[in-house]
Amino acid sequence: MRISLNWLKQYIDLTISPSELAHHLTMVGLEVENIEDLGGKYNNFFVGKVLKVEKHPKADKLVICEVGIGKQQYQIVCGAPNVTPGQKVAVGLIGATVPRNQHDSDGKPFTLSQVKLRGVDSYGMICSEYELELGEDKEGIMVLPPDSVGGIPLAEYLHIDDIIFEVGITPNRPDAMSHLGIAREVGALLNREVMIPKIELKENNEPISNFATVDVLDSVNCPRYTARVIMDVEIGQSPEWMQNRLKAVGIRPVNNVVDITNYVLMECGHPLHAFDYDKISDHKIIVKCATKKESFTTLDHKVRILQSDTLMICDAKLPIAIAGVMGGESTEISDATTKIIIESAYFNPRSIRRTSKYYGVNTDASQRFERGTDPNITAWAVDRAAQLINEICGGETLQGRVDVYPERISEKEINLRIKTTNDLLGLSLSATTISELLSKFGVQLIDDGSKDSAKELLRFKVPTFRPDIEREIDLIEEIARAYGYDNIKLKMSSSVHFLYDHHSFEYIDELRQQIIGRGMMEVVTNSMQDVSVASLTTDKIVKIANPISKDMEALRPSLIPSMLDIIHHNIDHGIANLRLFEIGKVYFNDHITNEFQVIKGYSEEDRVVLAFSGNAYPSAWDQKPRSLDVFDIKGEILTLFEKISLDNIKFIPYSNTDALTEYGLTIEINGEYAGLIGVIRSTILSKFNIEQDVFISELIVSVLERNRSKKKQFKSLPKFPIVARDIAIVVDDGLEIEKIESEIISAAGKILNKFQLFDVYIGDQISPGKKSCAYGLELRAEDHTMTQDEIDKVMQKIIDRIQYNLNGTIRK
Amino acid sequence: MTAGKSRPRLSITIMVEDFFISYIGNTMLNKIGKIKQSAINDIQTIRSLSDLDNYRIKYLARKGLVADLFDELRNVSAEERPHIGKIANELRNQVQSLFDEKKQNLESNVKHEQKRLDLTLPGRLSWVGTQHPLTQTLDEIKRIFFRMGFGIATGPEIEDDYHNFEALNFPPDHPARDMQDTFFISDKVLLRTHTSPVQIRIMENQPPPVRVIIPGRVYRNEAVSARSYCLFHQVEGLYIDEGVTFSELKGTLVAFAKEFYGSDIKYRFRPSYFPFTEPSAEMDITCFLCKGKGCRMCKQTGWLEILGCGMVDPNVYKFVGYDPEKYSGYAFGMGIERITLLRYSIDDIRILFENDVRFLKQF
Ligand SMILES: [Zn+2]
Repeated sequence: MRISLNWLKQYIDLTISPSELAHHLTMVGLEVENIEDLGGKYNNFFVGKVLKVEKHPKADKLVICEVGIGKQQYQIVCGAPNVTPGQKVAVGLIGATVPRNQHDSDGKPFTLSQVKLRGVDSYGMICSEYELELGEDKEGIMVLPPDSVGGIPLAEYLHIDDIIFEVGITPNRPDAMSHLGIAREVGALLNREVMIPKIELKENNEPISNFATVDVLDSVNCPRYTARVIMDVEIGQSPEWMQNRLKAVGIRPVNNVVDITNYVLMECGHPLHAFDYDKISDHKIIVKCATKKESFTTLDHKVRILQSDTLMICDAKLPIAIAGVMGGESTEISDATTKIIIESAYFNPRSIRRTSKYYGVNTDASQRFERGTDPNITAWAVDRAAQLINEICGGETLQGRVDVYPERISEKEINLRIKTTNDLLGLSLSATTISELLSKFGVQLIDDGSKDSAKELLRFKVPTFRPDIEREIDLIEEIARAYGYDNIKLKMSSSVHFLYDHHSFEYIDELRQQIIGRGMMEVVTNSMQDVSVASLTTDKIVKIANPISKDMEALRPSLIPSMLDIIHHNIDHGIANLRLFEIGKVYFNDHITNEFQVIKGYSEEDRVVLAFSGNAYPSAWDQKPRSLDVFDIKGEILTLFEKISLDNIKFIPYSNTDALTEYGLTIEINGEYAGLIGVIRSTILSKFNIEQDVFISELIVSVLERNRSKKKQFKSLPKFPIVARDIAIVVDDGLEIEKIESEIISAAGKILNKFQLFDVYIGDQISPGKKSCAYGLELRAEDHTMTQDEIDKVMQKIIDRIQYNLNGTIRK
Repeated sequence: MTAGKSRPRLSITIMVEDFFISYIGNTMLNKIGKIKQSAINDIQTIRSLSDLDNYRIKYLARKGLVADLFDELRNVSAEERPHIGKIANELRNQVQSLFDEKKQNLESNVKHEQKRLDLTLPGRLSWVGTQHPLTQTLDEIKRIFFRMGFGIATGPEIEDDYHNFEALNFPPDHPARDMQDTFFISDKVLLRTHTSPVQIRIMENQPPPVRVIIPGRVYRNEAVSARSYCLFHQVEGLYIDEGVTFSELKGTLVAFAKEFYGSDIKYRFRPSYFPFTEPSAEMDITCFLCKGKGCRMCKQTGWLEILGCGMVDPNVYKFVGYDPEKYSGYAFGMGIERITLLRYSIDDIRILFENDVRFLKQF
């Protein structure tokens, strides 16, 4: 909220600078987020009087003026046609920054310095409205009314010589949402007295009870209702000083009565409401909950359908205000109003909050009521308003107040243990110090514990303007605040080790480093996306009930689409070779309970997505670039898996089954589904405006983690030599390579150390419809050097299998 | 093929055992020694194949020094001849191998020259991986707290109202809930607005002491702008044991801040409000851009807010069944995005989620 320094100074003597004050407020928990110097732009501008005007000896259009500012006189050369002696004018002196330069097409500001104009010294400038940003008139200097006070700063003359503190007030501190509230805190800090305005209210001798009645039917939600009636007021504009005060804190002036209620609100923090007395049926106010779904028009001219548990202020017939939130149009103060009722009530915070949330209306009043106002200030606040109304709008205040307060809300009494306090804060404060510290904030010692056997229990009474202080711990916080957080010494106990089950977090860290080591760049993307995108892969989408926008209505069930967005962005910015990955969560609306569910019906799963697009390897001067294909990705995944200790991996081709990919491979590790490799469908690519192939692999982190070979065990190095043999197998073109490989594996058995496909040939050298697959085999027995005979037998076994099972031949 | 590598390791020790060596024999041995020394010296000065040919003529040709030596061997007595002959033979072999090695080196140099290899051509590169600045920041924070004896824990992003608010002492219909604009999935299920619900989940599942940090993604229903994004990442800390004090909280966090931001930082703790801690504080450090003088980054205050913290509120203990009379503790939380933006002077949070490769490469 905005706090005006001038306003604050009405209640407390302040000799410290605004920045010091801001520091003090911040350090007591009222964070000053910004300091605004309202008059700052008129630094070095003053109201001056033109004393003398003489012709410039060398220029027809210029005159030399003698201008008085206070006791000082300044020579100023001026070019305006309308300058004459005796005028009151706005003068900028050397160092002043003129907000707009009327000789510059953009009106840029400029700073005044001492200049010679055609040989004559000039020590400032008499400004036009345009130059001061006070109007658009450029034709001559701005002439102020003759009765203006000369010599004062222009900001003061304009009533904007104020400093505004933007204070961030946490929800527990409704007491600080006013100038008196802030003054109270500052007073406690600086040991200064706070001057609360004295109220001298003249009442006439007509008792209020003859003119108005108040009936509170719901005293739970309205524990106190206080009101006054004022007759014969004259509605008009409020005085300029009040308008300036309100404008400075961001409130638009309306009329004198409304302005006064707002003024009292910003002064003491208690919201008031003024009704037009004549428009209240039977002059009777009834406080009760709405009973039926009727419509009601609020002050902002909006029609609202009332909900049955909304606390309403009603007259004998109809509702006239939503209690504590906003008044109604029908009883609004208008120019024709002559009699008013001022309401000063205390409402239940929870009820006001529910109402404010339900209708989506957040007002200065509701903000304070829902945080908790002081129930015992209502009489003071209504009297203060009546006094100001009598002063400003005339009229007569009827004798007495209506005050429905069946059960007084009294000051809370709280026990405090000295040892507990010191133990928690790490201090050793005495009972005396504690009670002195608390008394700064108005918390009074009522029992010093002398009757307590341990002499350890103190009892305090908390003022009703501090609804946040309810428990011992709340008092401890006040003690810490008064003592100063910065005065509490640092301590660090020797570190204690408690280890938690955080393997999966470590695993993700390891996985991330391994993938980065494979030359991939990590991205972090939004987990919210469009429903149409999320539903590409599943119908078990988690939807957000109140999304920011339609394109963030669902939680992602796959990491692929957000990755495609990133790929699109980068290609769009000229980067076509991409190797990106993300480790993140996906979310499902899942009614089958599984290991990832904490909240029933929803599951979250960690995944990793790897995406590749563009060239297979970085371009070099002697290599032709080659586009990626799916085997690059398969190789990447295998290399990565080897690095992260995964084996028994199976790739199973699929096509036309996945929504995002056109074809690819599902990956199984030890028979468990671990994810897939695929080529993004062209329809999906065009949806994301991508015009080049994108290869992806999405893997489930927990499956990778679960299947890694955990213990590393040393195996002695082979003692016998490897025998290398090449073999070229000719089979039908359509036969899957995997089939050949499984035949080789089962034929050779244990002695097959390694094999590698090094060529696939289709062409003139072999029959049409056939392919030749050349393998390099490495054979080795663990316990002896293999003989030629042994090797030939194994090779023959492989050949037999190929011929028999695959109808293949061997190419010589 | 550096000079060092081709330096011959020659050492013919002339050992004479049980022999009486004649004058002639002795002269021969001296001569062999001299030839050997000069052969070693000469080979090192050779820079070209034609130099090498001169060397061959000098030592190994039919009329060369080594051949001369064998001629002179005739003058040596029959008793001494086998012995000295063996030494002369060794010399010949060694000079020959000096010559061969040099020849190989010079020829391969010539081959390189013939290829005219331009060594200023660029090398063939591989792809370079990068770690996202957010996970880098988180890694550093984790490392510091691990060293201070903290463990790590995580929890779900889809949370219930109870863990996200109620058990953290945000009563229903309380204005404190407005501090965190919430995305709802259903009436009582929401996207967590902070990592603090994991505190509750830990305390529900284990007795004190507890000493963990809790990293994770959190969501706020706020319009996306340069200063705020609809989701961000937090690291939460929780320490509960007997006798944990506010001074301990300050000590730990100051130690963290000095480790992370540098030991010369100034800091301050100022009162604040979080429903689940009391007393609550926010910790500021001196702005590292302007060193406290005031600049755009610190909004002219000279201070940067880096974290929120406080002593765990006794109401929270009630929800999880800890005895507030026996245990006390502290909690703290910081935003990874905020820290990352500050560290690298990034002025728009959205760039973190844009993942432009030109941006990622900078970290
Ligand atoms: Zn700064």
